Amino acid sequence: MLAALLPVLVIISINVSFGDDLHDESFKRFGNAILTSYVLVGLILIGNLFFYADSRHRPFAPLIGMLCAIFIGLIVAWLLISKEDLLLEANSGLRAQMLMNIVHGLVTSSAMILASALAIGFTFAMITGRKRRLLFLDDEE
Amino acid sequence: MDSMLDAAIWFWIPLMLIPLGMWFSVSGKAKKTGFVFSISGLILVMASSWTVPSSDSSAAGHLLLWISGPAILMCYGMYGAVFGGNVPVGKLDSSARLTGFAAVLFSLLIFCLMHWSNLTPTWRDGQVNPYWIVFWPTFLLFSTSLSSLSAIALLSYGDERGLEAVKLSAFSVFMAGIAIAGIIFDGEKISAEEFQDYLWLAAADIFGSLIGAGVALGVFATVIWGYERSLPPPKNTHPPTGEEIDYVVNLAKKHIVGEDE
Repeated sequence: MLAALLPVLVIISINVSFGDDLHDESFKRFGNAILTSYVLVGLILIGNLFFYADSRHRPFAPLIGMLCAIFIGLIVAWLLISKEDLLLEANSGLRAQMLMNIVHGLVTSSAMILASALAIGFTFAMITGRKRRLLFLDDEE
Repeated sequence: MDSMLDAAIWFWIPLMLIPLGMWFSVSGKAKKTGFVFSISGLILVMASSWTVPSSDSSAAGHLLLWISGPAILMCYGMYGAVFGGNVPVGKLDSSARLTGFAAVLFSLLIFCLMHWSNLTPTWRDGQVNPYWIVFWPTFLLFSTSLSSLSAIALLSYGDERGLEAVKLSAFSVFMAGIAIAGIIFDGEKISAEEFQDYLWLAAADIFGSLIGAGVALGVFATVIWGYERSLPPPKNTHPPTGEEIDYVVNLAKKHIVGEDE
């Protein structure tokens, strides 16, 4: 966990050392990111639940449970964005903010997926880069 | 046509087609249809800056189109770098490894040029695409973080993987170096101050997205666990009869081939 956090903290510390204070909108972005990713990942999981439920005779209860959980997420998002200056960024209103959150989530997830492909790919490239080692003495023959 | 309806038809519905197609494709129900859905949805989203230029959301589609070239090059390079090495299955020519790394470096160079030179994605009257400055710091921070995590994981779980872990750490430092260069040096269209501001927002985005996704997974696991717990325990079946056992043994004999050692 520390290995993942430390580089980000170092870069942010360097950023602060260059005189940049905490951005005013950071908390709003953080809150919006939590709510948006909760709802979007929840929807993706509902999709998986629906398309993979054949072997379990497509049970209805988990679907309803997840729909309720997402509905609660949407209500919380709606309440917090409507609450004056709590989560509303530079947008005209609730609908604009919610749509912007989804598009923003699309861009952020694209960046994270590409970064994951790069980091995981590089890791495997390093692993496969080494010459094969002898596991058993028989391999020498 | 109403601008909202326009945006719904040319951006939001195609955007929804992407996961829908993926679900169809992955579940095996309608693989080809799902693939067609996803690809056509992606193409329409990417083309949204022409089909619905009035919609602000189309900037995201425009960005995806803009970065698709270097992103494909990066993935292709990674494929070459991984499968050009010592893999038991699907090994490529050893030169693929070198060209793969070259492709990855070149794609990173293109991304850097997009930030510092005039290759920056521009949208509407020559303005910088607002989502580029969201994408770039997020990409840098997340790849730095993941590479560092991979290095430690390799060191902890791998056997004599010290050298590989050092190389991965160096890569993490390299990506962090690009982010620090963004903090220090102005680009042609994006200033260092702007990048500094968006670095905070990128960190907030990454942490927020991971926490939100984690909570959604937790809720999902709880819902499934609750449902499974409410099910009655499965009834025990009768043991197989002699006739059934003979049938299974005959079936097994028919399919087992090979010689005794």
